[in-house]
Amino acid sequence: MSNKNLKYLTGPFSANNPVIVQILGICSALAVTVQLKPAIVMALSVTVVTAFANLVMSLLRNGLPSRIRIIVQLVVIAALVILVDQVLKAFVYDVSKQLSVYVGLIITNCIVMGRVEAFALGNGPWASFLDGIGNGLGYGLILVIIGFFRELFGAGTLYGIRVIPESWYIAEGGFYANNGLMLFPPMALILCGCIIWVHRSKNKDLQEK
Amino acid sequence: MNKNSNLYIVIYSTVMVVVVATLLAVAALALKSRQDANILNEKKEAILASLSLSGQNYDECIEAFVVNEKGEKIEGQDPIQLLFDLPTAFAENTLPVFQATDGRVVVPVSGVGLWGPMWGYVALEKDMNTISGIVLDHAGETPGLGAEVATPKHQAMYKGKTLFEGDEFVSVTLRKGGAKDEKHEVDAISGGTKTSDGVTAMLKSSLGAYLPFLKASVATPCCEACAETECETNNVENNE
Repeated sequence: MSNKNLKYLTGPFSANNPVIVQILGICSALAVTVQLKPAIVMALSVTVVTAFANLVMSLLRNGLPSRIRIIVQLVVIAALVILVDQVLKAFVYDVSKQLSVYVGLIITNCIVMGRVEAFALGNGPWASFLDGIGNGLGYGLILVIIGFFRELFGAGTLYGIRVIPESWYIAEGGFYANNGLMLFPPMALILCGCIIWVHRSKNKDLQEK
Repeated sequence: MNKNSNLYIVIYSTVMVVVVATLLAVAALALKSRQDANILNEKKEAILASLSLSGQNYDECIEAFVVNEKGEKIEGQDPIQLLFDLPTAFAENTLPVFQATDGRVVVPVSGVGLWGPMWGYVALEKDMNTISGIVLDHAGETPGLGAEVATPKHQAMYKGKTLFEGDEFVSVTLRKGGAKDEKHEVDAISGGTKTSDGVTAMLKSSLGAYLPFLKASVATPCCEACAETECETNNVENNE
């Protein structure tokens, strides 16, 4: 893989992260991060859809009438999401139940359309495909970080496994209580803000003058 | 050719829609039978799970039939198929009942949560009053919040609760801030108030529809079913 292609893949992890730098996909980052498991499943699904939406749109880009390009993007993305949903329902029913409403949310995830519009329409299929994977994973990275803190402090579990012992809880005679605010979306936004703060203090060139 | 001419756009979008529609239709048809089998299997598993008989053979353990709003058995309906559209089944008073060979019965419940439909299976002891187990499920409640009703931890709280106070039907209520009445209340979900209220309403209305059947079953227990305790015995063996 050439250096340029590698940059498409790894750029979105930090310097060009879709959530904390491009500020795309914030809405779903707030919705699915109460627990780690849906956050990871959502991140993987978005990665698949972004990669293939980028690929398909990059292949279509030369014949695409620019006046209806947004509609075409929506149709392609929606069709991909429905296909993914149908396949999941038929072959891995448990996973599809886990995803439930979020499959539909992928269609409205601004990362998918944002990358198609900003990248795939101006670049070749292979570069676009890598860009889609990179952005999906960069999005997933932030989801996992936020989900980690929300599940740990909100429910005392990680990936559904108990981390904070039951005996610590006040109800069991201990001293500890879960932070209820962690379960609500505003906390995800605050955590997201903290991540942006830390990230920008490390990457001075991202700071606005 | 001018890519922004009306003719080009009309042809382009027509071709695109036809291609995409064909693709999706083929995928939906090809996968339908597998998806239906998954759903049917899941419903049978859920009924067994509410009876704590997971892993047993559904056909050997469960005798299913349909009752009407007076609690009388009616013929000509497939109980399992009714589960696919419970709201209609309740509206038309075709109420499926799943009786285990040990005399316990499972009745389905159907309602709405915050985002969409919810449903579940309530297993009742032979007294048709004490909850033996419950399985709740939902189409799209929020994970970590409302969706907690579908977790074993939440569902374990219902075991042993009773539906009746004397002769009066009081159902089971999810109370915010923790259950106060030990017999008829369980803890609601923090951050899932609408879902919790939905479960309360669902239990009240759906179990309410079965009242004549439940009362009739207490008066005249089905003896032929009680005689066979094969499944229960198997279950005990598994526990050892």
